[in-house]
Amino acid sequence: MQLQKAMAHNPRMDVIVEGIQMVSGLLLVVFLWTHMLFVAAIWLGVNAFNTLAHFMDVFGLLPATVVFLILVIGAHIGAVIRRVPRQWQEQKILWRHAKLIHHSDTWSWLFQAITGTALLALAIVHMAVVTYGGIDANLSSSRVHGGFLVFYAVLLLLSEYHASVGLYRVFVKWGWVDRHSLKRVLTVVSLLTVVIGAVTLWIFYVLGANA
Amino acid sequence: MENRAVLLPQTNRDDWGENMMHARTLTIRIMRYNPAEPETKPYLQDFQLTEEPGMTLFVVLNKLREEQDPTLRFDFVCRAAICGSCGMLVNGKPTLACKTLTKDLPETTTLLPLPVFKLIGDLSVDTGVWFRDVSLRTESWIHTDTVFDPDAEEERMDNDVAQKIYEAERCIECGCCIGGCATANIKPNFIGAAGVNRVARFMLDPRDQRTDREYLELVGTDDGVFGCVGLMACDDNCPVGIPLRDQLAYVRRKMAQSAWNLGKTK
Repeated sequence: MQLQKAMAHNPRMDVIVEGIQMVSGLLLVVFLWTHMLFVAAIWLGVNAFNTLAHFMDVFGLLPATVVFLILVIGAHIGAVIRRVPRQWQEQKILWRHAKLIHHSDTWSWLFQAITGTALLALAIVHMAVVTYGGIDANLSSSRVHGGFLVFYAVLLLLSEYHASVGLYRVFVKWGWVDRHSLKRVLTVVSLLTVVIGAVTLWIFYVLGANA
Repeated sequence: MENRAVLLPQTNRDDWGENMMHARTLTIRIMRYNPAEPETKPYLQDFQLTEEPGMTLFVVLNKLREEQDPTLRFDFVCRAAICGSCGMLVNGKPTLACKTLTKDLPETTTLLPLPVFKLIGDLSVDTGVWFRDVSLRTESWIHTDTVFDPDAEEERMDNDVAQKIYEAERCIECGCCIGGCATANIKPNFIGAAGVNRVARFMLDPRDQRTDREYLELVGTDDGVFGCVGLMACDDNCPVGIPLRDQLAYVRRKMAQSAWNLGKTK
């Protein structure tokens, strides 16, 4: 063992980082799905949505959520960054390898890394807009109708994809459930959340158009 | 002719007749490269031959070498999926050439050597250096203080345990799980599914006295089981069907458990 390794030796280090990656990922999935249900309050009408927003405002849930997200996303990025190949040579090998072996789970990992990177940028924009603008049905509908529709559609698809693949990997790696039925269940759940999100977006778009 | 054909088993005769009538001409596209001549870049060379009933890639490659190009390099020993020498990428899929039937292949098949391993030439790779290195690094032998007594009766092993050990021992070290693994392709020290499976075998063995902590230092690392990102190309491609996903998950859970216990005793 070399000096640097001996001085910084902690046999539990890699387990801990793996744990941070998994727990932060799971928390983000729980957040994402809760978020999709909360914004779907617009299905019940503008009043229901605004009541929920008001409730969140009263209990200080908006700033709490922002702090939660900064911490958890930060931890998640810190943990997963070690997996992303940074060197050009490694990138080239990975892409060539994925093209060579025709293996869907290998492709999904590359997409997982790409969607993750894109999500970071999109999530920052989204959080900044919501934090400064506050949560209100009229604001949301005018935003969605006023050119943000594509932004939200992309954010919805990428986040659901990333969450689905991430969950799949967690279960595959720890081995609790059958791989192929897991894939089917996750596909159904993800499609469902995408549909919920898409309908929500559509309602906001129509509200914005009629305003 | 009719009488002789009757002597063949019914199914075989039908197969034969079927294939003779519409025998395909197969195009086998093989990567050619000689590391001793680095100025010649790797290239794909097309070979044509007529498909025969029951033909495997073992037969194809030997025929090509005998009849068309004696310089073609590839490895075979047992032609029965036991020796693990003939692992290669068959249309991208890491598998054993000897157990690949041409009837399951399209008319054009591309053959490439397994990635990760040292390329000897054309389809031939040296898996031995890699596996020896992993064996040494994972200390793949029984660690025990018990002094061997040649007169004592051998200790009995529980049948379930023996079966589990045997499951891991079925590995023929063909390297298909390693060649197909994206992580193994970019991380030279990653022990891969074959390495983790090997360690699982010793973890299961009651004769091995290594502690959980020792195992944690050995494989609870980024070069060990926590280097795996869960792509499962190993599990999908193992030609002898070892449940590699289960083996990886078993070692992963075991290592998480011992890290947890270590944290509690601190």
